[in-house]
Amino acid sequence: MSAIQKLLGIVWAALGVGIIPLAIKQAMTEIAKKPSEENWIFWSIVLVVLMPIIAFSLISFGVFALKGEYEQLN
Amino acid sequence: MAQNLSASHTEEVTSTRKVIMASSVGTLIEWYDFYIFGSLAKIISEQFFPKDNPTAALLATLATFAAGFVVRPFGALFFGRLGDLIGRKYTFLVTLVIMGGSTFVIGLVPGYAQIGFFAPAIVFVLRLLQGLALGGEYGGAATYVAEHSPIHQRGYWTSYIQTTATFGLFVSLGVILIVRQSLGLEAFSAWGWRVPFLLSIFLVAISVFIRMKMSESPMFSKLKKEGKTSTNPLAESFKQKDNLKMVLLALLGATAGQGVVWYTGQFYALSFLQNACNIEFVQSNIIISIALVVGTPFFVVFGALSDKIGRKWIMMLGMLIAFVSYRPIYTVMYNEANLKNKVEIKEKTVIEHKAAVKGTDSLKTTITKKFFEDGTTFKETKKEKFPVDAAVKAAMPKDKLKPEVKKETTLPQNLFVKMIGLVFIQVIFVTMVYGPIAAFLVELFPTRIRYTSMSLPYHIGNGVFGGLVPLISTRLVEATRPAADLPPADPLAGLWYPIIIAAVCFVIGSVYIKNKPAEIDAE
Repeated sequence: MSAIQKLLGIVWAALGVGIIPLAIKQAMTEIAKKPSEENWIFWSIVLVVLMPIIAFSLISFGVFALKGEYEQLN
Repeated sequence: MAQNLSASHTEEVTSTRKVIMASSVGTLIEWYDFYIFGSLAKIISEQFFPKDNPTAALLATLATFAAGFVVRPFGALFFGRLGDLIGRKYTFLVTLVIMGGSTFVIGLVPGYAQIGFFAPAIVFVLRLLQGLALGGEYGGAATYVAEHSPIHQRGYWTSYIQTTATFGLFVSLGVILIVRQSLGLEAFSAWGWRVPFLLSIFLVAISVFIRMKMSESPMFSKLKKEGKTSTNPLAESFKQKDNLKMVLLALLGATAGQGVVWYTGQFYALSFLQNACNIEFVQSNIIISIALVVGTPFFVVFGALSDKIGRKWIMMLGMLIAFVSYRPIYTVMYNEANLKNKVEIKEKTVIEHKAAVKGTDSLKTTITKKFFEDGTTFKETKKEKFPVDAAVKAAMPKDKLKPEVKKETTLPQNLFVKMIGLVFIQVIFVTMVYGPIAAFLVELFPTRIRYTSMSLPYHIGNGVFGGLVPLISTRLVEATRPAADLPPADPLAGLWYPIIIAAVCFVIGSVYIKNKPAEIDAE
């Protein structure tokens, strides 16, 4: 279990890092396609609220998992 | 000796019941206050946020979203810190007063027609205060109840707090319905909508009175007496590695998945019935209400079960079945309401035309009623409004002349019951993930920083991940629409958001969370 926890830690951290450029690129594409107020509000919420929370928590969680910080829980 | 033990046990149960009562009533009222704004959104929008004023319209959008998921985590931090510094009892008394006071004042604010821009601005601020108070309430109530509960019944007792969100929704809908029926639609739209807001002050007064009589949590009192309370709960919660890693585990392994499952079962299901299946307003609300009423006791069932077999696998199983079965469940719901799958009795079709002139506009209404062999009825109301003057009409942009179309499907008894069953299954998922979660969160953190530490992941999981379900799911469905006037290619596409979040959360929770209910740390 310990090895799986550590291995998955890399996956979570990579996901957290990968989500940042992906969300920014998607937001720019969508807003350029249709620059409506509705689109601006939606992507602002994604970029300012959701994306930072997901990215920060996945990266930090992944690093903790990789260091074996969750091993003693089991 | 045996008699003394039995008397002491009875006293303990009675005392815990009082604690549950005091906490649950207050939390229920907070949810009531929070929901009436949402339930009366249309009227509030007409009164305070006129669409022809872009700033007011923007404030309306912000009021909806900001209170839901930006302010709630801040409330969790602010009141959580306060709760760990001065105590649980006084903190969740303050949140109750702020929530009730804001709700009451919303009922008094003059409309946009009377005081202009001040109206939406005041309501916006009051709505933010509501979000802030809600962010502080839940953690306090859950912590307070858990710290009073017998060790091996923590899941059972805290699960009563979990039922309050659903009951709060009921009470809000019930009060609105009663006031609307008593006053009539016209008086309700003019001023009667204020009554549910004003009523809040009486409910809050009763709850404050009950809570004032309660004593502080025994664990917190002990810490305070020994001078061991935290001096900086925020720093201890989020700057110390040992605690931060548990906050992250709570969020990614439990509350994010629980939040999306909860919002999908309780709110998205209703939106799907009304918008994708076109089920008539009253019938769709009855479907959800019955499913919620029948499902609510299961919060307590799964809370109690978690005391016996552990919190982890009940929550994980709830998430697993939810994300695996969402698409099949919604496919059945969609197909059962889809008129393309039904045989129409064409000779029964009725078409009515109505025309009227109002000022310089001509109003044309076409009502089409269709009947189907399985007992389903369908009503389409098409309203066209255009200037009487042909020259003015010709000069108008086409989108302004677009007719307003309302589609309503009424299901026969057997399909109505089937829909209740399908929503009920989703409510069971909700009770599995939500019933044990208060006890689970309480057990993750030490008493000195419990209020702060558990409130943040709970409100990010529910407010942000859960609260975004309607917005993101609607966008995902819209993205499959080939053209603005064509139906979406995949009406179930909105489910991908809760499915992915619940699946990731399931993997994290299964791999990293331990199952055994923890002894809660007295420090």
